[in-house]
Amino acid sequence: MIDQAGVLGSVRRGMIPAHIYNDEHVFALEKERVFGRAWMFVAHESEIPSAGDYVVRRVLDDSFIVVRDEKGEIHAHFNMCLHRGMQVCRAEMGNASHFRCPYHGWSYRNDGRIVGLPFHQDAYGGEAGFKRKSQRLLRAPRIGSHNGMIFVSLDDEAPSLRDHLGDFVFYLDYYTRQSPSGIEMRGPQRWRVKANWKIGAENFAGDMYHTPQTHTSVVEIGLFREPKAEKRRDGATYWAGNGGGTTYKLPPGGLDERLRYVGYPDEMIARMKGEWSREQCDVIGRDGFMISAASVFPNLSFVHNWPRVEDSDDVVPFISVRQWQPISENETEILSWFAVDAEAPEEFKRLSYKAYLMCFGSTGMFEQDDVENWVSLTNTAAGSMARRLMLNSRMGLLEDGTEVSPALPPERFSGPGIARTGYSEHNQRELLRRWADHMERPLPKAAGVEVGTNGQQAEAGQ
Amino acid sequence: MTGEQSTHSERSVLGGHAPREQRSGATLPFGDERHLLAHQWLVDEAYLLDEQAYTRWLELLTDDIHYLMPVRVTTALGTGFDTAPGAAHFDENKYSLSRRVARFLTEHAWTEDPPSRLRHHITNVRTFATDDDDHLVVDSGVLLFRSRGDVREPSLVSAGREDLLRREAGGWRLARRTILVDESVIRMQNLAIFL
Repeated sequence: MIDQAGVLGSVRRGMIPAHIYNDEHVFALEKERVFGRAWMFVAHESEIPSAGDYVVRRVLDDSFIVVRDEKGEIHAHFNMCLHRGMQVCRAEMGNASHFRCPYHGWSYRNDGRIVGLPFHQDAYGGEAGFKRKSQRLLRAPRIGSHNGMIFVSLDDEAPSLRDHLGDFVFYLDYYTRQSPSGIEMRGPQRWRVKANWKIGAENFAGDMYHTPQTHTSVVEIGLFREPKAEKRRDGATYWAGNGGGTTYKLPPGGLDERLRYVGYPDEMIARMKGEWSREQCDVIGRDGFMISAASVFPNLSFVHNWPRVEDSDDVVPFISVRQWQPISENETEILSWFAVDAEAPEEFKRLSYKAYLMCFGSTGMFEQDDVENWVSLTNTAAGSMARRLMLNSRMGLLEDGTEVSPALPPERFSGPGIARTGYSEHNQRELLRRWADHMERPLPKAAGVEVGTNGQQAEAGQ
Repeated sequence: MTGEQSTHSERSVLGGHAPREQRSGATLPFGDERHLLAHQWLVDEAYLLDEQAYTRWLELLTDDIHYLMPVRVTTALGTGFDTAPGAAHFDENKYSLSRRVARFLTEHAWTEDPPSRLRHHITNVRTFATDDDDHLVVDSGVLLFRSRGDVREPSLVSAGREDLLRREAGGWRLARRTILVDESVIRMQNLAIFL
């Protein structure tokens, strides 16, 4: 077992016991208390645009069918037949009006209601033996969406998704609401890396410090002009609600010039200005900060960069959404989507996709070097020496707690939350503080759901 | 991959420029000179990829190459597709491939320093003529074994490939490659390799 109070107390001080990045006991507790409770991203509405469209996504070991029903409503059904527990959908995506269990042929409409139960009368004696009426595939305990991003929570008592995201929604708009139509998402590329899930989430939340070193090569080959050490240092990190991220400081200019500087065409800029609040525009236009990477607790991240994709000086921005899906204490499945404004010109979409492929995802030239580091770190964290080593994650704080770089005043940063320029690990600490808060609170046992009897809590009107 | 109306390149996002030549007729006999040269081409290329001799490898690619590795997805039988619409691992032209190669030649591509030990096992090679004597279509299977460091487990990628080879001044070059990976979730830390 782990010395829970010791580990969590240490994490809260910004001293990280290295073994938390590869410890089966820590992971067992995370499964219960972090992932059994937090809002988890499962899909974007653009992945299931039509009635019957579905994708199958997991929350750790739990498989959910995220589907749009015939009325257009979106559901997340637990992918387990009510009879013997078989997966009723074994594809990853598709379109279906019904899901039929291959084991005994029970079938369900795409809204989850049971519709076929072979030999109901002969085998069960009809409703007197098995109450078919109002039975349905189990729902994810909670489902919510914001800007088309669909999340579920396994905790009946979870705060609303909006409350969970908090003021981070201000920043989420830069990635997912550049026009009234929002984004379309493609993918995901999926691959497994032998790294702990927390490392990627922390990195995207606030690690501007690694960019000049880890990503030297992409500057050298002319792919990305920005990550030079000085430029990153002038950027700001921000934390708001349950998420935070990094920015680059852009050269002087107004909103239009700065959006053009990172490669947005004028028609997209016009739509952004129509969609974003004064404060959202001011972060870029007045304050000069362009969003880059970000994470929302616990394991959803975003990235926005603007590389060169052809042999010219032009740059093209791209957006990626990614999830660090834990497999075990030392393995993570990365799901990496390309996202682009749905109203963007087709040529922009093509080049933005190319920019994404060159930079992030399974083949991305930034991501290749990140993952190498994270695998190596995870590997080293397994041993007994890692149990002695307390990694110093206090960058940005003096020993007495004084902040090296003060929070930016509203006249220098118009977004909500706390923002600071320069290198620091404030955001990584914010993320792990939330992790610690979850880890110390046991999860109440969820009520059981009995199938086909009067013990079942039938849902009225279904 | 036989019998399709269009190539994967044509359906991909960035394959608009890709050569369109397709196979015609049955597999060439294994004794056919065209098969022998195509097979040897693939084997020689595999050794270059094992050695990470990427500058020489780039010279084997035509200027209009399309290099595509779709994302595979599990779909129900009869769905009609098994690749993720609009998404790939690689969807490359000569420029983007040249940037990838240039990166490996810097001293800061950490993911391959120290380098992986690579072995591209090429098998099940068969060759088809096209309507044009200067183009051949070659199918092959590739199993890539990749080992990094001393303590990590090695990893494997299995894929089928369809290549379009073109005769140019100076020899045969690769004009189009489609890599159909056999997993929907790749079990490798990254694709800082070529297949």
